[in-house]
Amino acid sequence: MEKLIANFNYVIVVILMMIGLWSMLAQKNLIKKCIGMAIFQTGIILFFISIGAKDNALIPILTEAANHTYPVSDVSKVANPLTQILMLTAIVVGVATLGVALALAQKIYQQHSSFDEDEILENERK
Amino acid sequence: MSTLPIWQFDVLLLILVVLFAVVALSIRNLMGAAVVFGAYSFMMCLIWAGMGAVDVAFTEAAVGAGVSTVFVVSTLYNTGATVQPRTGGLAFKLFIGVVVTIAGAFLLSALPDFPEWGASDSPVNAKVAPYYILNTIADSHVPNVVTSVLADYRGFDTLLETTVVFIACIAIYSILRIDKAKLEVGEPAAAPVPRYDPGDSLIVRQASRFMVPFMQLFALYVIAHGHYSPGGGFQGGVILGASLILLAISFDLKSLLRQWSEKTLMLLVAAGVFLYAAVGLACMFMGGNYLDYGFLDSILPGEKDMARSHGILLVEIGVGITVMFSMIAIHINLASNGRFDRGL
Repeated sequence: MEKLIANFNYVIVVILMMIGLWSMLAQKNLIKKCIGMAIFQTGIILFFISIGAKDNALIPILTEAANHTYPVSDVSKVANPLTQILMLTAIVVGVATLGVALALAQKIYQQHSSFDEDEILENERK
Repeated sequence: MSTLPIWQFDVLLLILVVLFAVVALSIRNLMGAAVVFGAYSFMMCLIWAGMGAVDVAFTEAAVGAGVSTVFVVSTLYNTGATVQPRTGGLAFKLFIGVVVTIAGAFLLSALPDFPEWGASDSPVNAKVAPYYILNTIADSHVPNVVTSVLADYRGFDTLLETTVVFIACIAIYSILRIDKAKLEVGEPAAAPVPRYDPGDSLIVRQASRFMVPFMQLFALYVIAHGHYSPGGGFQGGVILGASLILLAISFDLKSLLRQWSEKTLMLLVAAGVFLYAAVGLACMFMGGNYLDYGFLDSILPGEKDMARSHGILLVEIGVGITVMFSMIAIHINLASNGRFDRGL
Protein backbone atom coordinates (compact mmCIF):
# COMPACT_ATOMS: atom_id res chain seq x y z
CA MET A 1 0.00 0.00 0.00
CA GLU A 2 2.87 2.35 0.89
CA LYS A 3 4.40 1.60 -2.48
CA LEU A 4 1.09 2.21 -4.20
CA ILE A 5 0.66 5.66 -2.66
CA ALA A 6 4.28 6.55 -3.39
CA ASN A 7 3.76 5.61 -7.01
CA PHE A 8 0.24 6.98 -7.34
CA ASN A 9 1.22 8.77 -10.57
CA TYR A 10 2.07 5.52 -12.27
CA VAL A 11 -1.23 3.96 -11.20
CA ILE A 12 -3.04 6.88 -12.85
CA VAL A 13 -0.87 6.42 -15.95
CA VAL A 14 -1.96 2.79 -16.20
CA ILE A 15 -5.61 3.74 -15.65
CA LEU A 16 -5.45 6.43 -18.35
CA MET A 17 -3.82 4.02 -20.78
CA MET A 18 -6.51 1.43 -20.02
CA ILE A 19 -9.26 4.02 -20.59
CA GLY A 20 -7.67 5.07 -23.88
CA LEU A 21 -7.16 1.50 -25.08
CA TRP A 22 -10.71 0.53 -24.11
CA SER A 23 -12.13 3.48 -25.99
CA MET A 24 -10.06 2.76 -29.11
CA LEU A 25 -11.27 -0.85 -29.14
CA ALA A 26 -14.81 -0.73 -27.78
CA GLN A 27 -16.21 2.63 -28.86
CA LYS A 28 -18.05 2.52 -32.17
CA ASN A 29 -17.79 6.23 -32.84
CA LEU A 30 -14.75 7.41 -34.79
CA ILE A 31 -14.51 10.76 -32.95
CA LYS A 32 -14.57 8.93 -29.61
CA LYS A 33 -11.79 6.71 -30.91
CA CYS A 34 -9.72 9.79 -31.76
CA ILE A 35 -10.29 11.22 -28.26
CA GLY A 36 -9.35 7.84 -26.78
CA MET A 37 -6.13 7.89 -28.77
CA ALA A 38 -5.32 11.34 -27.40
CA ILE A 39 -6.03 10.15 -23.83
CA PHE A 40 -3.72 7.16 -24.29
CA GLN A 41 -1.08 9.56 -25.50
CA THR A 42 -1.42 11.96 -22.55
CA GLY A 43 -1.11 8.91 -20.28
CA ILE A 44 2.30 8.16 -21.76
CA ILE A 45 3.32 11.83 -21.53
CA LEU A 46 2.30 11.86 -17.85
CA PHE A 47 4.49 8.78 -17.35
CA PHE A 48 7.54 10.51 -18.84
CA ILE A 49 6.98 13.70 -16.84
CA SER A 50 6.53 11.60 -13.66
CA ILE A 51 9.82 9.77 -14.03
CA GLY A 52 11.59 13.09 -14.68
CA ALA A 53 10.12 14.86 -11.64
CA LYS A 54 12.23 15.29 -8.53
CA ASP A 55 11.04 15.95 -5.01
CA ASN A 56 11.59 19.55 -3.90
CA ALA A 57 13.11 20.48 -7.24
CA LEU A 58 12.74 23.74 -9.12
CA ILE A 59 11.83 24.19 -12.77
CA PRO A 60 14.71 23.65 -15.21
CA ILE A 61 15.36 27.35 -15.76
CA LEU A 62 18.56 28.47 -14.08
CA THR A 63 18.24 31.98 -12.71
CA GLU A 64 20.02 33.89 -10.02
CA ALA A 65 16.65 34.84 -8.55
CA ALA A 66 16.10 31.16 -7.71
CA ASN A 67 19.51 31.09 -5.94
CA HIS A 68 21.13 29.03 -8.65
CA THR A 69 24.87 29.36 -8.94
CA TYR A 70 26.82 28.71 -12.13
CA PRO A 71 27.69 25.94 -12.58
CA VAL A 72 24.77 24.42 -10.71
CA SER A 73 26.01 22.97 -7.40
CA ASP A 74 23.15 20.58 -6.72
CA VAL A 75 21.68 18.87 -9.76
CA SER A 76 18.99 17.18 -7.68
CA LYS A 77 17.34 20.58 -7.14
CA VAL A 78 16.58 21.04 -10.85
CA ALA A 79 13.86 18.98 -12.55
CA ASN A 80 14.98 16.68 -15.36
CA PRO A 81 14.89 18.65 -18.65
CA LEU A 82 15.45 15.64 -20.91
CA THR A 83 12.10 13.90 -20.41
CA GLN A 84 10.41 17.29 -20.67
CA ILE A 85 11.74 18.13 -24.12
CA LEU A 86 10.93 14.65 -25.43
CA MET A 87 7.32 15.16 -24.35
CA LEU A 88 7.13 18.77 -25.50
CA THR A 89 7.74 17.74 -29.09
CA ALA A 90 5.50 14.69 -28.65
CA ILE A 91 2.56 16.95 -27.78
CA VAL A 92 2.93 19.02 -30.96
CA VAL A 93 3.38 15.93 -33.10
CA GLY A 94 0.35 14.49 -31.27
CA VAL A 95 -1.90 17.33 -32.36
CA ALA A 96 -0.68 16.91 -35.96
CA THR A 97 -1.49 13.19 -35.91
CA LEU A 98 -4.86 13.95 -34.28
CA GLY A 99 -5.47 16.24 -37.25
CA VAL A 100 -4.66 13.42 -39.67
CA ALA A 101 -7.01 11.07 -37.79
CA LEU A 102 -9.81 13.65 -37.87
CA ALA A 103 -9.22 14.27 -41.58
CA LEU A 104 -9.58 10.54 -42.25
CA ALA A 105 -12.75 10.42 -40.14
CA GLN A 106 -14.14 13.39 -42.06
CA LYS A 107 -13.38 11.73 -45.40
CA ILE A 108 -15.18 8.59 -44.19
CA TYR A 109 -18.14 10.73 -43.17
CA GLN A 110 -18.31 12.22 -46.66
CA GLN A 111 -18.65 8.72 -48.11
CA HIS A 112 -20.97 7.14 -45.56
CA SER A 113 -22.57 10.09 -43.70
CA SER A 114 -21.88 8.44 -40.40
CA PHE A 115 -19.18 8.21 -37.75
CA ASP A 116 -20.60 4.91 -36.51
CA GLU A 117 -18.47 1.86 -37.25
CA ASP A 118 -21.41 -0.54 -37.69
CA GLU A 119 -23.23 1.76 -40.10
CA ILE A 120 -20.05 2.25 -42.13
CA LEU A 121 -19.58 -1.52 -42.39
CA GLU A 122 -23.22 -2.00 -43.42
CA ASN A 123 -22.78 0.66 -46.09
CA GLU A 124 -19.65 -1.06 -47.35
CA ARG A 125 -21.43 -4.40 -47.74
CA LYS A 126 -24.28 -2.95 -49.82
CA MET B 1 7.62 18.78 4.96
CA SER B 2 4.92 16.28 4.37
CA THR B 3 5.62 12.61 4.96
CA LEU B 4 3.81 11.68 1.78
CA PRO B 5 6.21 11.67 -1.17
CA ILE B 6 3.52 13.12 -3.44
CA TRP B 7 1.72 16.42 -3.05
CA GLN B 8 -1.89 16.13 -1.95
CA PHE B 9 -2.96 18.67 -4.56
CA ASP B 10 -1.52 16.39 -7.22
CA VAL B 11 -3.57 13.45 -5.96
CA LEU B 12 -6.73 15.54 -6.29
CA LEU B 13 -5.81 16.63 -9.83
CA LEU B 14 -4.89 13.10 -10.88
CA ILE B 15 -8.28 11.79 -9.75
CA LEU B 16 -10.00 14.68 -11.55
CA VAL B 17 -8.11 13.84 -14.74
CA VAL B 18 -9.37 10.25 -14.68
CA LEU B 19 -12.91 11.52 -14.07
CA PHE B 20 -12.69 13.92 -17.02
CA ALA B 21 -11.34 11.16 -19.26
CA VAL B 22 -14.26 8.88 -18.35
CA VAL B 23 -16.79 11.67 -18.86
CA ALA B 24 -15.29 12.69 -22.22
CA LEU B 25 -15.66 9.14 -23.47
CA SER B 26 -19.07 8.31 -22.00
CA ILE B 27 -20.95 11.53 -22.83
CA ARG B 28 -23.26 11.00 -25.81
CA ASN B 29 -23.10 14.51 -27.22
CA LEU B 30 -19.93 14.62 -29.31
CA MET B 31 -19.58 18.40 -29.04
CA GLY B 32 -19.73 18.02 -25.26
CA ALA B 33 -17.10 15.28 -25.44
CA ALA B 34 -14.78 17.65 -27.32
CA VAL B 35 -15.20 20.36 -24.70
CA VAL B 36 -14.71 17.98 -21.75
CA PHE B 37 -11.60 16.70 -23.49
CA GLY B 38 -10.33 20.30 -23.57
CA ALA B 39 -10.93 20.54 -19.83
CA TYR B 40 -9.10 17.23 -19.38
CA SER B 41 -6.08 18.64 -21.22
CA PHE B 42 -6.13 21.72 -19.03
CA MET B 43 -6.14 19.63 -15.81
CA MET B 44 -3.27 17.62 -17.25
CA CYS B 45 -1.34 20.82 -17.89
CA LEU B 46 -1.80 21.86 -14.23
CA ILE B 47 -0.35 18.51 -13.11
CA TRP B 48 2.68 18.92 -15.34
CA ALA B 49 3.24 22.47 -14.12
CA GLY B 50 3.15 21.08 -10.57
CA MET B 51 5.88 18.58 -11.44
CA GLY B 52 8.16 21.35 -12.69
CA ALA B 53 7.59 20.75 -16.39
CA VAL B 54 6.59 24.32 -17.21
CA ASP B 55 7.45 24.15 -20.90
CA VAL B 56 5.40 21.00 -21.36
CA ALA B 57 2.49 22.53 -19.45
CA PHE B 58 2.67 25.63 -21.63
CA THR B 59 2.62 23.53 -24.79
CA GLU B 60 -0.28 21.44 -23.53
CA ALA B 61 -2.27 24.55 -22.61
CA ALA B 62 -1.81 25.95 -26.10
CA VAL B 63 -2.08 22.70 -28.03
CA GLY B 64 -4.19 20.24 -26.06
CA ALA B 65 -6.66 22.59 -24.45
CA GLY B 66 -6.70 25.05 -27.35
CA VAL B 67 -5.96 23.93 -30.87
CA SER B 68 -6.88 20.24 -30.68
CA THR B 69 -10.29 21.11 -29.24
CA VAL B 70 -10.79 23.48 -32.18
CA PHE B 71 -9.84 20.68 -34.59
CA VAL B 72 -12.39 18.28 -33.10
CA VAL B 73 -15.09 20.97 -33.02
CA SER B 74 -14.48 21.97 -36.64
CA THR B 75 -14.70 18.34 -37.77
CA LEU B 76 -18.01 17.95 -35.92
CA TYR B 77 -19.29 21.27 -37.23
CA ASN B 78 -18.55 20.25 -40.76
CA THR B 79 -20.24 16.89 -40.58
CA GLY B 80 -23.15 17.90 -38.39
CA ALA B 81 -22.85 14.65 -36.45
CA THR B 82 -23.25 15.91 -32.92
CA VAL B 83 -24.96 13.00 -31.20
CA GLN B 84 -23.67 9.48 -30.96
CA PRO B 85 -26.66 7.39 -32.11
CA ARG B 86 -26.13 4.03 -30.40
CA THR B 87 -23.54 1.94 -28.65
CA GLY B 88 -22.19 -1.54 -29.31
CA GLY B 89 -23.36 -4.80 -27.76
CA LEU B 90 -22.75 -5.50 -24.08
CA ALA B 91 -20.95 -8.81 -24.72
CA PHE B 92 -18.47 -7.11 -27.05
CA LYS B 93 -17.82 -4.36 -24.51
CA LEU B 94 -17.28 -6.90 -21.74
CA PHE B 95 -14.83 -8.83 -23.90
CA ILE B 96 -12.85 -5.65 -24.62
CA GLY B 97 -13.05 -4.79 -20.92
CA VAL B 98 -11.41 -8.12 -20.02
CA VAL B 99 -8.68 -7.64 -22.63
CA VAL B 100 -7.94 -4.13 -21.37
CA THR B 101 -7.94 -5.27 -17.74
CA ILE B 102 -5.39 -7.97 -18.52
CA ALA B 103 -3.18 -5.42 -20.29
CA GLY B 104 -3.55 -3.06 -17.33
CA ALA B 105 -2.72 -5.84 -14.86
CA PHE B 106 0.53 -6.55 -16.69
CA LEU B 107 1.45 -2.88 -16.57
CA LEU B 108 0.54 -2.64 -12.87
CA SER B 109 2.61 -5.73 -12.07
CA ALA B 110 5.70 -3.82 -13.25
CA LEU B 111 4.90 -1.00 -10.81
CA PRO B 112 6.86 -2.20 -7.73
CA ASP B 113 10.06 -2.19 -9.80
CA PHE B 114 9.86 1.54 -10.40
CA PRO B 115 12.10 3.93 -8.49
CA GLU B 116 10.16 5.97 -5.98
CA TRP B 117 8.42 9.01 -7.39
CA GLY B 118 10.58 12.10 -7.09
CA ALA B 119 13.84 10.24 -6.44
CA SER B 120 16.71 12.26 -7.89
CA ASP B 121 19.05 9.26 -8.09
CA SER B 122 16.82 7.15 -10.36
CA PRO B 123 18.45 6.04 -13.63
CA VAL B 124 16.48 8.57 -15.66
CA ASN B 125 17.58 11.48 -13.52
CA ALA B 126 21.13 10.42 -12.74
CA LYS B 127 22.69 9.45 -16.08
CA VAL B 128 22.42 11.90 -18.97
CA ALA B 129 20.29 14.78 -17.71
CA PRO B 130 22.83 16.26 -15.23
CA TYR B 131 25.23 16.95 -18.10
CA TYR B 132 22.69 19.29 -19.69
CA ILE B 133 21.97 21.09 -16.43
CA LEU B 134 25.66 21.55 -15.61
CA ASN B 135 26.87 22.65 -19.04
CA THR B 136 24.09 24.69 -20.62
CA ILE B 137 25.33 28.06 -19.33
CA ALA B 138 28.95 27.46 -20.32
CA ASP B 139 28.03 26.02 -23.71
CA SER B 140 25.37 28.36 -24.95
CA HIS B 141 24.37 30.95 -22.30
CA VAL B 142 20.80 29.62 -22.28
CA PRO B 143 19.37 29.48 -18.74
CA ASN B 144 16.27 27.57 -19.88
CA VAL B 145 17.74 24.07 -20.03
CA VAL B 146 14.71 22.76 -21.93
CA THR B 147 15.34 25.18 -24.79
CA SER B 148 19.02 24.37 -25.06
CA VAL B 149 18.40 20.61 -25.02
CA LEU B 150 15.54 21.00 -27.50
CA ALA B 151 17.35 23.04 -30.10
CA ASP B 152 21.03 22.41 -29.44
CA TYR B 153 21.98 19.16 -27.71
CA ARG B 154 19.14 17.20 -29.29
CA GLY B 155 18.65 19.31 -32.40
CA PHE B 156 18.22 16.29 -34.65
CA ASP B 157 15.18 15.16 -32.67
CA THR B 158 13.51 18.51 -33.03
CA LEU B 159 14.36 18.79 -36.72
CA LEU B 160 12.67 15.48 -37.41
CA GLU B 161 9.69 16.29 -35.16
CA THR B 162 9.20 19.49 -37.13
CA THR B 163 9.38 17.42 -40.31
CA VAL B 164 6.68 15.13 -38.90
CA VAL B 165 4.39 18.14 -38.41
CA PHE B 166 5.15 19.18 -41.99
CA ILE B 167 4.39 15.69 -43.30
CA ALA B 168 1.16 15.49 -41.29
CA CYS B 169 0.12 18.78 -42.89
CA ILE B 170 0.80 17.36 -46.38
CA ALA B 171 -1.08 14.17 -45.47
CA ILE B 172 -4.16 16.16 -44.45
CA TYR B 173 -3.95 18.09 -47.71
CA SER B 174 -3.85 14.91 -49.75
CA ILE B 175 -6.73 13.38 -47.79
CA LEU B 176 -9.17 16.28 -47.74
CA ARG B 177 -8.35 18.90 -50.35
CA ILE B 178 -10.92 18.99 -53.15
CA ASP B 179 -10.26 20.84 -56.36
CA LYS B 180 -13.25 22.99 -57.27
CA ALA B 181 -12.71 22.49 -61.01
CA LYS B 182 -12.97 18.73 -60.62
CA LEU B 183 -15.99 19.04 -58.37
CA GLU B 184 -18.15 20.61 -61.08
CA VAL B 185 -17.85 17.72 -63.51
CA GLY B 186 -17.74 14.99 -60.88
CA GLU B 187 -20.06 14.24 -58.03
CA PRO B 188 -22.34 17.00 -56.76
CA ALA B 189 -21.22 19.01 -53.79
CA ALA B 190 -22.30 17.67 -50.41
CA ALA B 191 -25.50 19.19 -49.07
CA PRO B 192 -24.75 22.27 -46.97
CA VAL B 193 -24.96 21.60 -43.26
CA PRO B 194 -27.12 23.94 -41.19
CA ARG B 195 -24.67 26.17 -39.43
CA TYR B 196 -24.28 28.86 -36.89
CA ASP B 197 -22.36 31.79 -38.29
CA PRO B 198 -20.15 33.39 -35.64
CA GLY B 199 -19.37 36.17 -38.13
CA ASP B 200 -22.86 37.52 -37.41
CA SER B 201 -22.03 38.17 -33.79
CA LEU B 202 -20.83 41.72 -33.19
CA ILE B 203 -19.40 40.82 -29.76
CA VAL B 204 -17.32 37.91 -31.03
CA ARG B 205 -16.04 39.96 -33.96
CA GLN B 206 -15.05 43.01 -31.93
CA ALA B 207 -13.58 40.99 -29.07
CA SER B 208 -11.37 38.96 -31.38
CA ARG B 209 -10.34 42.08 -33.30
CA PHE B 210 -9.17 43.48 -29.97
CA MET B 211 -7.48 40.28 -28.78
CA VAL B 212 -5.61 39.12 -31.87
CA PRO B 213 -2.82 41.77 -31.88
CA PHE B 214 -2.06 41.08 -28.22
CA MET B 215 -2.01 37.33 -28.85
CA GLN B 216 0.42 37.77 -31.70
CA LEU B 217 2.65 40.13 -29.72
CA PHE B 218 2.68 37.64 -26.84
CA ALA B 219 3.52 34.79 -29.22
CA LEU B 220 6.46 36.71 -30.67
CA TYR B 221 7.65 37.37 -27.12
CA VAL B 222 7.34 33.66 -26.34
CA ILE B 223 9.50 32.74 -29.33
CA ALA B 224 12.10 35.45 -28.77
CA HIS B 225 12.29 35.00 -24.99
CA GLY B 226 12.33 31.19 -25.07
CA HIS B 227 15.97 31.21 -23.93
CA TYR B 228 15.13 32.77 -20.58
CA SER B 229 11.56 31.73 -19.80
CA PRO B 230 9.17 28.89 -20.64
CA GLY B 231 8.41 28.98 -24.31
CA GLY B 232 10.01 28.67 -27.68
CA GLY B 233 9.18 27.92 -31.27
CA PHE B 234 6.54 25.26 -30.63
CA GLN B 235 4.50 27.24 -28.12
CA GLY B 236 4.86 30.58 -29.91
CA GLY B 237 4.03 29.00 -33.25
CA VAL B 238 0.89 27.40 -31.89
CA ILE B 239 -0.25 30.70 -30.32
CA LEU B 240 0.41 32.58 -33.59
CA GLY B 241 -1.53 29.92 -35.46
CA ALA B 242 -4.35 30.09 -32.91
CA SER B 243 -4.61 33.87 -33.33
CA LEU B 244 -5.20 33.49 -37.06
CA ILE B 245 -7.59 30.57 -36.47
CA LEU B 246 -9.52 32.88 -34.13
CA LEU B 247 -9.74 35.43 -36.96
CA ALA B 248 -10.95 32.72 -39.33
CA ILE B 249 -13.65 31.67 -36.87
CA SER B 250 -14.87 35.10 -35.88
CA PHE B 251 -14.87 36.59 -39.39
CA ASP B 252 -14.80 33.98 -42.11
CA LEU B 253 -12.36 31.78 -43.94
CA LYS B 254 -12.44 33.99 -47.03
CA SER B 255 -11.01 37.01 -45.26
CA LEU B 256 -8.18 34.91 -43.86
CA LEU B 257 -7.43 33.37 -47.25
CA ARG B 258 -7.34 36.84 -48.82
CA GLN B 259 -4.32 37.62 -46.64
CA TRP B 260 -2.72 34.20 -46.71
CA SER B 261 -3.40 32.38 -49.93
CA GLU B 262 -3.27 28.61 -50.01
CA LYS B 263 0.02 28.66 -51.90
CA THR B 264 1.63 31.07 -49.42
CA LEU B 265 0.51 28.89 -46.51
CA MET B 266 2.08 25.74 -47.94
CA LEU B 267 5.27 27.53 -48.96
CA LEU B 268 5.66 28.92 -45.44
CA VAL B 269 5.05 25.50 -43.84
CA ALA B 270 7.95 24.20 -45.94
CA ALA B 271 10.02 27.36 -45.34
CA GLY B 272 10.17 26.72 -41.58
CA VAL B 273 11.61 23.23 -42.00
CA PHE B 274 13.91 24.59 -44.69
CA LEU B 275 15.24 27.31 -42.37
CA TYR B 276 15.98 24.70 -39.70
CA ALA B 277 17.75 22.38 -42.14
CA ALA B 278 19.60 25.29 -43.76
CA VAL B 279 21.04 26.42 -40.41
CA GLY B 280 22.33 22.87 -39.99
CA LEU B 281 23.87 22.92 -43.48
CA ALA B 282 25.45 26.30 -42.84
CA CYS B 283 27.22 24.77 -39.84
CA MET B 284 28.63 22.11 -42.16
CA PHE B 285 29.86 24.76 -44.61
CA MET B 286 31.65 26.51 -41.75
CA GLY B 287 33.53 23.32 -40.97
CA GLY B 288 31.48 21.80 -38.16
CA ASN B 289 29.04 18.95 -37.81
CA TYR B 290 25.40 19.21 -38.86
CA LEU B 291 23.53 21.53 -36.45
CA ASP B 292 26.71 22.38 -34.52
CA TYR B 293 25.91 26.07 -34.14
CA GLY B 294 29.24 26.87 -32.51
CA PHE B 295 30.86 27.03 -35.94
CA LEU B 296 28.57 29.88 -36.99
CA ASP B 297 30.62 32.29 -34.85
CA SER B 298 32.19 33.94 -37.89
CA ILE B 299 28.84 35.05 -39.34
CA LEU B 300 26.86 35.52 -36.12
CA PRO B 301 27.88 38.08 -33.47
CA GLY B 302 29.77 36.92 -30.40
CA GLU B 303 32.03 34.06 -29.49
CA LYS B 304 31.28 30.35 -29.91
CA ASP B 305 28.88 30.19 -26.97
CA MET B 306 26.87 33.21 -28.14
CA ALA B 307 26.81 31.78 -31.67
CA ARG B 308 25.15 28.69 -30.25
CA SER B 309 22.61 30.88 -28.48
CA HIS B 310 21.82 32.72 -31.71
CA GLY B 311 21.71 29.46 -33.64
CA ILE B 312 19.07 28.21 -31.21
CA LEU B 313 17.03 31.35 -31.86
CA LEU B 314 17.22 30.88 -35.66
CA VAL B 315 16.13 27.28 -35.34
CA GLU B 316 13.28 28.19 -32.99
CA ILE B 317 12.04 30.73 -35.54
CA GLY B 318 12.02 27.98 -38.18
CA VAL B 319 10.04 25.69 -35.85
CA GLY B 320 7.64 28.54 -35.08
CA ILE B 321 6.95 29.25 -38.77
CA THR B 322 6.27 25.60 -39.60
CA VAL B 323 4.06 24.98 -36.57
CA MET B 324 2.10 28.23 -37.05
CA PHE B 325 1.24 27.70 -40.69
CA SER B 326 0.65 23.97 -40.44
CA MET B 327 -1.87 24.58 -37.62
CA ILE B 328 -3.66 27.12 -39.84
CA ALA B 329 -3.57 24.83 -42.89
CA ILE B 330 -4.89 21.87 -40.89
CA HIS B 331 -7.68 24.02 -39.44
CA ILE B 332 -8.72 25.36 -42.84
CA ASN B 333 -8.79 21.86 -44.34
CA LEU B 334 -10.83 20.43 -41.47
CA ALA B 335 -13.20 23.39 -41.17
CA SER B 336 -13.99 23.77 -44.86
CA ASN B 337 -13.98 20.06 -45.68
CA GLY B 338 -11.07 20.60 -48.01
CA ARG B 339 -12.96 23.11 -50.15
CA PHE B 340 -11.27 26.27 -48.88
CA ASP B 341 -14.42 28.32 -49.39
CA ARG B 342 -16.33 28.66 -46.16
CA GLY B 343 -16.43 26.94 -42.83
CA LEU B 344 -16.29 27.38 -39.09
